[in-house]
Amino acid sequence: MSHKTIPLAERKRLRMKMIKKHQLANILTHWFNVGMWLMLLPTGIAILSSPRLGLSPDWVQVFFRNVFGGTANLIRFHYTVGLIWAIVLTFNILVGFRKYFVPFSKERLLLSKDDVEWMKIKPLQMLGFMKGKPLPPQDAYNAGQKLYMYVVILGTVGIIASGLVMTFHTVFPPFLKQWAQPVHWASVFSIVAGLIIHVYMGAVFPEEKEAFFSMFSGKVSAWYARAHHSKWYWEKVKEELEWEDKVTAEVESSAKPAEAAHAGD
Amino acid sequence: MAQKKRYGFVIDVSRCIDCRACLVACSAENKVGMKYTRIWVRDLGVKGEYPNLEQTFVPYNCMHCENPPCTQVCVSGATYKDGDTGLVLVDQEACIGCGFCVDACPYNARYLDRERGVVDKCTGCIQRLQVGQQPACVTTCVGKARLFGDFNDPGSEVSVALKNARTIQRLDYELPDGAHTEPNVYFINGEVMDPQVQPHEPAYSLAETSWKSLLIPAVLAGIGASFLGQATFFTKQLVEGEKEFEE
Repeated sequence: MSHKTIPLAERKRLRMKMIKKHQLANILTHWFNVGMWLMLLPTGIAILSSPRLGLSPDWVQVFFRNVFGGTANLIRFHYTVGLIWAIVLTFNILVGFRKYFVPFSKERLLLSKDDVEWMKIKPLQMLGFMKGKPLPPQDAYNAGQKLYMYVVILGTVGIIASGLVMTFHTVFPPFLKQWAQPVHWASVFSIVAGLIIHVYMGAVFPEEKEAFFSMFSGKVSAWYARAHHSKWYWEKVKEELEWEDKVTAEVESSAKPAEAAHAGD
Repeated sequence: MAQKKRYGFVIDVSRCIDCRACLVACSAENKVGMKYTRIWVRDLGVKGEYPNLEQTFVPYNCMHCENPPCTQVCVSGATYKDGDTGLVLVDQEACIGCGFCVDACPYNARYLDRERGVVDKCTGCIQRLQVGQQPACVTTCVGKARLFGDFNDPGSEVSVALKNARTIQRLDYELPDGAHTEPNVYFINGEVMDPQVQPHEPAYSLAETSWKSLLIPAVLAGIGASFLGQATFFTKQLVEGEKEFEE
């Protein structure tokens, strides 16, 4: 049943009902990431000053070198913050490996048949074709989000590995240090390419407004879930019903012995 | 206003006897590792026919070019042309020793110090210059084959030497983009134009080349496409306005 045919009263009820989408640990890690990226991206861009590559404007290079007191200090700041970022991120993943990382990867990251279908239709729709064709139901994250997550995960591994090579430059051979630089840059800016859409969709795009607030509260309305992530929504409803059944069964079974004991008097 | 300085060397090849005291002085002054040297003396070999034989030795170090190709490739700006002195320097606290600049130098005047993980080269003994002294190689040269000074000062020792020189040669090199390296090392009173000391075309490592010609276009295209995409949606959003409730 399409969400567009739901009666008004039911819509209102669904708008009020909130379901949990993000766990607190994920929210905190997300905003930690944001803070670190805000420090790392500008300083990283400012470091890039090869005229042959021409990757950053002169005034950015000069401004950051003046603020930090020279190239060496700018680089020191960049890799110190980078190391903190890498260590905290690794720590979070290791500590939360069984409770967060594995379930997240299993339930939210794997691509399904519907996702493949979505990837065929959505790009064409964005270009103005196949407007009438309905999109297949989506999980907690849609196929586009899932794809971007792979870019982010691969990119993050690339950034951390190449960053470590450059930070600990006395122990790595020149060959690795040469390749670490383009790898670092390409990893960062592959993520940035998606980041532009990620930030726009998350913070500006009106239909996804709930997604933005959910990164603070962890919750989205049942209406939003049903409209945008229906597969996940019905999964949640099923979970809720199962939970209700379980609780009812427990209450009943705990009530019975009491009755039996009463009857034995 | 004080005129901008352009420090460099004048090397009188007719006075060099290949004693290599300059190498020792340089290494001692700059604590260069035993495996390495920042300066060289190239032996061009015996030339001519007996009994008219001659042999030229060419003391050699960083040319402190006006248009150094090495600073063009340094990703972080760790190697740079100093604005005050005109010397080409390496900030070894910023350098990670990737060696892009070593490949790019047409004069092979840089080397990778693998123990310290940085690039090293002649600095014109800037630490001595700052306290009013000449570079170690210059003060130690008994034959006075090496001279150092400011080419922009007409009264400096190097400018005077250039004025009085019989011949002046410079290992200038035309870069692929048409600019010249314009080295600030002048060889006087001898013939140094020999294949052994001729500059070569700057080499760019595979990592740097693929970064420049492959990764940058590909990734920037991706960023451009995603930016255009979101800009289109944002414009649409501005034109259409926002609905109170989503349908």
